[in-house]
Amino acid sequence: MALTTEEVRKIASLARLRFTPEEEAAFTGQLGKIVDYIDQLQRFEAGAPPEAAPGTAVRAAPEDDDLPRPCLPRESFLANAPAALDGFLLVPEVRRTSTADARQASEARPGVGDDLSS
Amino acid sequence: MTCHPDLWGLPAEELARRIRGGEVSAAAALASALERTARVEPLIHAYLEIFEEAARARAAQIDRSVAAGQDPGPLAGVPVALKDNLNLTGHRLTCGSRILAGYVAPYTATAVQRLLDAGAVIVGRANMDEFAMGSSCENSAYQETHNPWDVATVPGGSSGGPAAAVAAGSVALGIGSDTGGSVRQPAALCGVVGVKPTYGRVSRYGLVAFASSTDQIGPIARGVRDAALATQVIAGHDALDSTCAERPVGDLLATIEEGIAGMRVGVVKEIDVVLAAQAAAAAGEPAPNDIAASFRAALAALEQAGAELVEVSIPSLEAAIAVYYVIATSEASANLARFDGVRYGRRSPGAASLADVYFDSRSEGFGAEVQRRIMLGTFALSSGYYEAYYGKAGAVLAQMRAELMAALERADAVVTPTTPSAAFRLGEKVADPLAMYLSDIFTTPASLVGLPAVAVPSGFDGQGLPLSLQIMGRPFEEATVFRAARAFERQVGWQVAPRFRGAEVGAG
Repeated sequence: MALTTEEVRKIASLARLRFTPEEEAAFTGQLGKIVDYIDQLQRFEAGAPPEAAPGTAVRAAPEDDDLPRPCLPRESFLANAPAALDGFLLVPEVRRTSTADARQASEARPGVGDDLSS
Repeated sequence: MTCHPDLWGLPAEELARRIRGGEVSAAAALASALERTARVEPLIHAYLEIFEEAARARAAQIDRSVAAGQDPGPLAGVPVALKDNLNLTGHRLTCGSRILAGYVAPYTATAVQRLLDAGAVIVGRANMDEFAMGSSCENSAYQETHNPWDVATVPGGSSGGPAAAVAAGSVALGIGSDTGGSVRQPAALCGVVGVKPTYGRVSRYGLVAFASSTDQIGPIARGVRDAALATQVIAGHDALDSTCAERPVGDLLATIEEGIAGMRVGVVKEIDVVLAAQAAAAAGEPAPNDIAASFRAALAALEQAGAELVEVSIPSLEAAIAVYYVIATSEASANLARFDGVRYGRRSPGAASLADVYFDSRSEGFGAEVQRRIMLGTFALSSGYYEAYYGKAGAVLAQMRAELMAALERADAVVTPTTPSAAFRLGEKVADPLAMYLSDIFTTPASLVGLPAVAVPSGFDGQGLPLSLQIMGRPFEEATVFRAARAFERQVGWQVAPRFRGAEVGAG
């Protein structure tokens, strides 16, 4: 099936990615071609539905007891954070955008202004 | 210690034997490896970083341990290159991505720790396709790696850096990760041995995740014995990875020389059909006769070594790429959600809101192929398409698993070519993602079903580029796969000596 630019925009928004119009056009063509190829799956007879996660020829190890164990110290973890303050991760404020701002923003940046800003 | 200029060319097993016995020092072995690396690296660009200082300190530590009468282990003083998605405390790790520029590993992967516990010397982090997504190493955000056999061709991917480094003689062992062929395909294109162990055989703790239902860590070596030795070292249960199986590894070298007289080897009858379809899909190029001819020669060699060939049928083989690119991208879209500019990695400097942090950091930090796969996976999992894509792929995969397991009841091992072509030219497939994906047609089934598989050099194409045979086995029967691979290697028996064709400077 061919993908529309609108669908690509929607998927990009779900994936928290944004593209320039040129990138969007390129992705629409490339993804459409790949999805066309994947559509050959419809020709294949399917066996029984997979009983476990795909890929696992074997069952995973049995669950361990849920006991506290040593883990990475907070400072080691935060050493790789782009911004941290008093032992916590630091991010810009989650801004509530007005409807007009959101519409404008979603045209330029698909996805901004929906579930993220509420 | 006197200079030992040729130590770089020794198998890991032999090098470790000499170092454990005090015949040569780990420092001399490392010096030889670093000299060789300095000579070949300008031709192939396999490394993102060489840990020279840390490696020298480590080699000195091994030598002190030997001098004190201790045994550093089966990889004593052996230089090893790590793919840049394996954590080693205090060292940088980028996954070949801009989004992880500046990340420093806060802990060590279990597989890497086991290499260290066995005496290995880690010499550097080697190039890879960004987040292990690619079949040519051209998706690295940092550099292109060249194939030591012909520097105008790709080394394969995504573990192209470790494969090129091993083939060029820079290190005896490379450690990569294989999600759909990322160890086996570059090993094939570089004329070396590559291993994808059984799913659950090697702990993934400390490996940056791509597709969690198929990711496995595996070694690259110049010979089958070294590949088995390295697998032996890194395999086994680990409480830090709940998908790592509690099954004994056994001694993978104990039976490796026993030969394959009477072994039933399954030959997949759909291979010619698949090769023809692949060639047709690849812009109407003629069928790659070299691959078919080389595969027939490999079958003859197996027969000469005493194997009994049996025909097996895997009708779903043709669907492997379609299944793989639904399942792997779906998992990748979830696994890569963690790269959001908040917890680690690069945050877009201009982001004013939390939403901007997510959108800008990911859009600026991920390269085109990673974005493409995240998009594809998000699509396959999205409302309205889930059943038709992710659901259908899972159902065809169940069929594929049934076919492969049935084949492995009739046969002790199943063989295919590792790749549908030899190394292709740099840039040749960059503009056509689907053509690039098709490089993995023969390697994806073992990944999807979780089987162990080894890629072994099998000969050369008309241009003198290496070709490879893939041997798959039953889950956790690595010993059988290695035994078959070793028998095949002995039968075919060519010495690995890449020629660096196209390079100004001879590096032989």
